[in-house]
Amino acid sequence: MTIAQNLNLNPTIGTPLFQMPSVAPAAGSIQTGFTPQQMASMVGTIPTGGGLGGLLGDIGNFLGSTGGQQALGAGTGALLAQQAYQRLGDIGERARREASDIADLGLTQTEFRPFTVTTSTGGMMGVGPEGGTTMTLSPQEQALQNQLLGGAGQFYGQAQQPLDAREQAVFERMRAAQRPEEQRQRLALEERLAAQGRLGTSSAAYGGATPELMAQETAIQESRDRAMLAAMQQAQAEQLQQAQLGGQFLSSGYVPQAQLISATQPALTTSQLAQRGQLTGAGLFGEAEMSGLEALLSSGIGQANLMGQIGTGLLQQSLQPTFVGGTGGGAAGSGSGGGLSSITSSGGLLDMLGITDSNNDGRWWERIF
Amino acid sequence: MAQELRSINLVAPAFKGINTEDSPLAQDPSFAEIADNAVIDKRGRIAARKGYDVITTTKTALGSASVRAIREFRDNAGNSKIFSVGNNKILSGTTTLVDETPASYTITADNWKMVDFNDNIYFFQRGYEPLVYSNSSGAVEKMSDVSGASASVDIPQANEVVAAYGRLWCADITNNKSTVYWSDLLIGQDWTGGTSGSIDISKVWPDGYDEIVSLAAHNGMLIIFGQHSIVVYQGAEAPATMSLMDTVAGVGCVDRDTVQHTGTDVLFLSHTGLRSFGRTIQEKSMPISTLSRTITKDIIGLIQGETEFFRSVYSPEENFYLLTFVGQQTTFCFDVRGTLEDGSYRVTRWPGSAFTSYERLTNGTLYVGSSEGISEYTGYSDNGSAYRFKYFSPSLTFGDVSKLKILKKIKPTLVGANSATVFMKFAYDFGTSYRTTEFTVGNQRPAFFSVNEFGTDSNPLSEFTGGELTNQRSLNAVGSGTTVVVGLESDINGFALSLQEINLLALIGKTL
Repeated sequence: MTIAQNLNLNPTIGTPLFQMPSVAPAAGSIQTGFTPQQMASMVGTIPTGGGLGGLLGDIGNFLGSTGGQQALGAGTGALLAQQAYQRLGDIGERARREASDIADLGLTQTEFRPFTVTTSTGGMMGVGPEGGTTMTLSPQEQALQNQLLGGAGQFYGQAQQPLDAREQAVFERMRAAQRPEEQRQRLALEERLAAQGRLGTSSAAYGGATPELMAQETAIQESRDRAMLAAMQQAQAEQLQQAQLGGQFLSSGYVPQAQLISATQPALTTSQLAQRGQLTGAGLFGEAEMSGLEALLSSGIGQANLMGQIGTGLLQQSLQPTFVGGTGGGAAGSGSGGGLSSITSSGGLLDMLGITDSNNDGRWWERIF
Repeated sequence: MAQELRSINLVAPAFKGINTEDSPLAQDPSFAEIADNAVIDKRGRIAARKGYDVITTTKTALGSASVRAIREFRDNAGNSKIFSVGNNKILSGTTTLVDETPASYTITADNWKMVDFNDNIYFFQRGYEPLVYSNSSGAVEKMSDVSGASASVDIPQANEVVAAYGRLWCADITNNKSTVYWSDLLIGQDWTGGTSGSIDISKVWPDGYDEIVSLAAHNGMLIIFGQHSIVVYQGAEAPATMSLMDTVAGVGCVDRDTVQHTGTDVLFLSHTGLRSFGRTIQEKSMPISTLSRTITKDIIGLIQGETEFFRSVYSPEENFYLLTFVGQQTTFCFDVRGTLEDGSYRVTRWPGSAFTSYERLTNGTLYVGSSEGISEYTGYSDNGSAYRFKYFSPSLTFGDVSKLKILKKIKPTLVGANSATVFMKFAYDFGTSYRTTEFTVGNQRPAFFSVNEFGTDSNPLSEFTGGELTNQRSLNAVGSGTTVVVGLESDINGFALSLQEINLLALIGKTL
């Protein structure tokens, strides 16, 4: 079972919120190095010096002569040294390549996994591969948000209206409410004045009218003044109220979004947990891979060093003066005849060096070069 | 067998004045059919009116015109000055009429009304800026030139003005005959400031439309006379709050100069005769009584026939209200001491009177204006000329209109009439051809204490007479008829004449 299979953040939801990538490499991925078993078999089956003598005996026998043997030894030594050199280079190249593959695999394993959060009210928040977040409200929420934000705009718009226009409007409404009573009072006074025969009275002491008319007009004027001041205060209060309402509507307009974000918090936490596990797993994977690679590299270096030492030895022996004695050589040759088979046998030195004769065609040596 | 003479004693004949309204046959003998140049004297008798004595000696400024108005101006210091108007001038003085017309002030009419108010005398006439005179200024000047006055355009050029309740009130200006203006308190020349104001009563007229003719102030009320209606405001002491008290429809005032205060009443001439407001404060209403009910037709005829102007005066000393139809030279004299049963004043007539203006001075003297200048109502001659006193009784039936009356004796009792020739007249059956018999009253000059009986150098220096000369005569009469009218005429020229009674002796004849 993978990590993702173990992670079900929201059991109520049929599908997990996100899935961790499987640690198993994808099909076709690069196979790095030897398996531990191969490495152990190879190390454990490295032939001793007698084996190498057998090998050289086989080579000597194959060449059939002492000079040939010396030449063969020198050639073989040089060949092995060159092979060791080459192998060291290949090992470095392979190490670089394998490390790059591990890094690539690490990138793949640690890359961000998009996920989507869906709330119970239908809102959705999707996190894209690049980390981009897309929030989508449900139609109802969107409508509500539109309404609220629209209302906020309206309220702010009203709050930004010039006060004098609103003052005038409030004043007119107040006056409209006052006028009927004023008109009734005027008519009543007019009737009283008419009944008293004073309708046409004009007194300089009372502004060209009667005392009652002046008092009434003064009262009306005071009422107008009060209405004007009240209109100013009302307009200012309305402006403040509209600004507050605009703020409230604006705040409320973002409530669905905030609630969506709030609803995604647990998912984000869970995602972080999953990502943390993912990163940890990737780290462990990388470390393990790198350890294997390092071991492989170490063994490869060892092999190369060994091969280089063998080649060096062969070269040194071939360059030293030789004693003619067939027995020795024959012995060696015979003695090493069994050794050549151990070299070419499965899991022998050639296999260890990557020169296999698994097909048993007897041409393994060509593959040395 | 000789029939018994029936005596009809007309005691204090015509002491009820003229009655031309009732049927002669049904009339009370106390009425008179004619009572010319007569008054009701202090004893309730019909008597000859006083004449006038021209005071003016120099009337150059007046020219041949008549004095159209006279006003005594008394300032707060008690100084008195007589103003009069005539010949398109503002005049002052009595013996010599001095032209007081302001310079560069052209007058083409003499229908001024003058009021004395707060140490000033104001002259108002429609279409003219009012004039003001005060002793401090010593000259008549235009109102706008007076300190504290409103601008000329703001001063009402009114035809009617009264001073009342501490203000001037005016009305009847050209093109606005429904607005009453009042001045600021105690400042008659301020018509725009202070507590000045106005009231348009065009919506108040009870008949919908009328024109202000005159104003009167009475008992806290402002009485506005229209041509055909009257509007009364109460609380006129505070004009801004005065309110309508009463309205009278159908009765108006003919002319502003017929309105007179009697102290307890206001008299004015309506289109149907002399009327008055009764003083009924408690009743809060203004009952109107007709005071000329006995001469209604006559007075209506005179009103309708008047082409010039009216003048009136109330004299508590003489106890009469004079109403003059200047254009027809007729004056009615209403005795205001009491009313008849029907509420009418006793009225006599002064025909041929040349009076064109009156003014009762503070001391009670009655000034009379005429073409001769200013005169004083005094004496018993019209500036030395005689005037004819007439009395004619109504048609007398002696209680039975169907029987023949054969008048035998006429016995008048006269008081005064020293040396006067008296014509007793009688006629029968509504005839206009009077039989006349005359007699001359004896010459008896009354002597009083410290007054020489026979002149300045007479001896003895003083004697005492019995006072008024009483003369009784018995005159024979002839003719017969069912009704008898008795008359008496005498030229008054220096002496008073009162008709105490007339005793008629007649035989009652057969029934016709």
